[in-house]
Amino acid sequence: MGENSLPGEFDLLVQGTGFTESIVAAAASRIGKTVLHIDSNEYYGGQWASFNLEGFQKHLSESPNFQATQNWNTDESETSEWTKENILKTSRRFSIDLTPKLLFSRGKLVKLLISSNICRYAEFRAADNVCTFEESTSSLKSVPCSRTDVFNSKDLTIIEKRLLMKLLNSFLNYKDEEVPEEFKNYLGKPFLEFLKFQRLTPKIINNVMNSISMCDEDALLEEGIEKTKNFLLNLGFYGNTPFLFPMYGCGEIPQCFCRLCAVFGGVYCLKKPISKIEEKDDEISFTTDNQVIKAKKLVFGSSNIPEELLSSEKKTDHCCGGLSRGVFILEKPLGSEELNSGGGGVNFLKLPGGNGGAFILQLSHYSGTCPKGLHLVHITSKSSSTPSDDLQPFVEKLFTDEHKPLYTAYFTLPSCSSKVSTTENIVECCGTFFELDYDKSIENAEMVFKKLYPDEEFLPRAPDPEEIIIENEDPTAISEHTLPEDLKAQLLLEESSKEV
Amino acid sequence: MTTTRNPQTLMAISPEENFDFLFKIVLIGDAGTGKTCVVSRFKNGKYEESHGSTIGVDFSLKTVNIEGKQVKLQIWDTAGQERFRTITQSYYRSANGVIIVYDIAKRQTFTNLQKWIDEVRRYTGSNVLLILVGNKCDLESEREVEFSEAEAMCQFVPEILFVMETSAKENKNIEDAFVCLAAELMKRHVGNNVQNDENLVNLGQGKPVSSCSSSCNLT
Repeated sequence: MGENSLPGEFDLLVQGTGFTESIVAAAASRIGKTVLHIDSNEYYGGQWASFNLEGFQKHLSESPNFQATQNWNTDESETSEWTKENILKTSRRFSIDLTPKLLFSRGKLVKLLISSNICRYAEFRAADNVCTFEESTSSLKSVPCSRTDVFNSKDLTIIEKRLLMKLLNSFLNYKDEEVPEEFKNYLGKPFLEFLKFQRLTPKIINNVMNSISMCDEDALLEEGIEKTKNFLLNLGFYGNTPFLFPMYGCGEIPQCFCRLCAVFGGVYCLKKPISKIEEKDDEISFTTDNQVIKAKKLVFGSSNIPEELLSSEKKTDHCCGGLSRGVFILEKPLGSEELNSGGGGVNFLKLPGGNGGAFILQLSHYSGTCPKGLHLVHITSKSSSTPSDDLQPFVEKLFTDEHKPLYTAYFTLPSCSSKVSTTENIVECCGTFFELDYDKSIENAEMVFKKLYPDEEFLPRAPDPEEIIIENEDPTAISEHTLPEDLKAQLLLEESSKEV
Repeated sequence: MTTTRNPQTLMAISPEENFDFLFKIVLIGDAGTGKTCVVSRFKNGKYEESHGSTIGVDFSLKTVNIEGKQVKLQIWDTAGQERFRTITQSYYRSANGVIIVYDIAKRQTFTNLQKWIDEVRRYTGSNVLLILVGNKCDLESEREVEFSEAEAMCQFVPEILFVMETSAKENKNIEDAFVCLAAELMKRHVGNNVQNDENLVNLGQGKPVSSCSSSCNLT
């Protein structure tokens, strides 16, 4: 076997290093399966990758199905600090996500990262502000999240503060078993109608509807209650908001799962296309670099379906992708100075609108995704026409004359409507979804894993280095007889309580 | 006396935990240059002749005493991802020190150094310290890289702090390489030995909200 050839057989071949595929690869490797994880791209992450500015521009121009447009609008006068040339000089300081996300601090991904111990590969920044767009003044305001924030807020009157606290408390205490009077008449009716009946001010309704619950206009009360409650229950863990943002961008997250896969023996190859996929007698064979390799099972990402698996008959019933994206570089950040105190951080805004509205994320250099002095704004909505048309209503609202972007890019993350033939041993992973966190994608990854390995545990906790006893090392540390007294006492206590 | 324990793992928090500095050091370099042996020699004082890849081992921890200060080193190995040059960017993030290892008996691993240096430039912070280690110096008869060449390279690449030839097999210079790097890191961080950026969130460590204002790790 040559130095650069691969082993000839694997339990699982994973094609594509997107978020979902990477979770499946890590989970399989973790339970002892031999995994070959391959990507035809030279970078990790597929549709979930982040790029530096030059890489991002190149990627857009080389992806014909992205419908991408790019535009520079810099001040080229001699006194200007941020000319196009100067911005491009800092290209490496950028980490621009194709699919930007925020994590609920007690959401599915955070829980998975902690329970699997993958969290040690990443760092996060708590989002600094959840914002709302005030139509009357056409400006961004911070939405008070905690009790202290509500009472310190300068944007709300004393009466509004009381009303808001009372309303939020009533959501927190809401139980399906004993529905309070004021909710009873509105179950099954629109959330907005319920809010309007509570004699709240438009400001409070806007805050609760668009920023806290992030509900669409036609959402029912039940959904409103659930989403508001979820927002409130994610508060108080890190920082002032319920959200976390991965340092250096969301493109880091798939890589963390890949690292775990590698630590447990997974083999990694980028820039390696595969071909001639064939399934025969419960065994899959394929070719890469003129080498024929066998695998028992195959998983691939939907943004990169192997030709052999395209079919004219079967149609998949999921619909991932289909996002319109805008990326903007600003010198002066959106919102007041107060919203960007200390140079800004991670600010989040949900704007309502048809088709689910848009998620807007403004990042400063503290997020590790852009150079100091510049700000990166991401807009994401569902796609229905060209990306620039889809995002126009939001762009017009946000970027007034004093916040003219220096660089603007629009692109589409195409939807997957392709027809794929999958079998028991060949399974497809979905691409990105229109959601703020990663819940749907994690469900998808777990589903794929369970399909492949129905009886196995999904990503059990990986041991810390101190817990691993390497062969030939002194194993006394874990011998029962040498347990330290306090731990022994604790174990005995647990056992005796079981017997009772 | 009660022992302090990590509430999640029940592992005793040893006195070693009382350190003054914590640095993350990552090892890179071509496959087969002996990175894992270097770490293993430093960590356990042992040399394993035919070292298969150790499944599940992520990083090693070792505390060294430098000028009366406890300096804890968290040493990360590549998990085999260097074989096809597929080390993740996230591996380099927040590294304080980088050790690039080449094999003095294999010229190719030396000529590939430029590629590794480029990766370091691309993915690490600007204040990361870089050292060069020429391993397997016990194989004098098979030497393909002169030490003077490596020294010349140091002159040529300003980021490289120093170069050292080591032998994990004969335990030559291994400890020195780590200790010199750690001492230099300590020198540069004196005055701000607060362990973490207050704004960084590390998940799972159950930090109270008050102690982490806006950015954290989830352990």
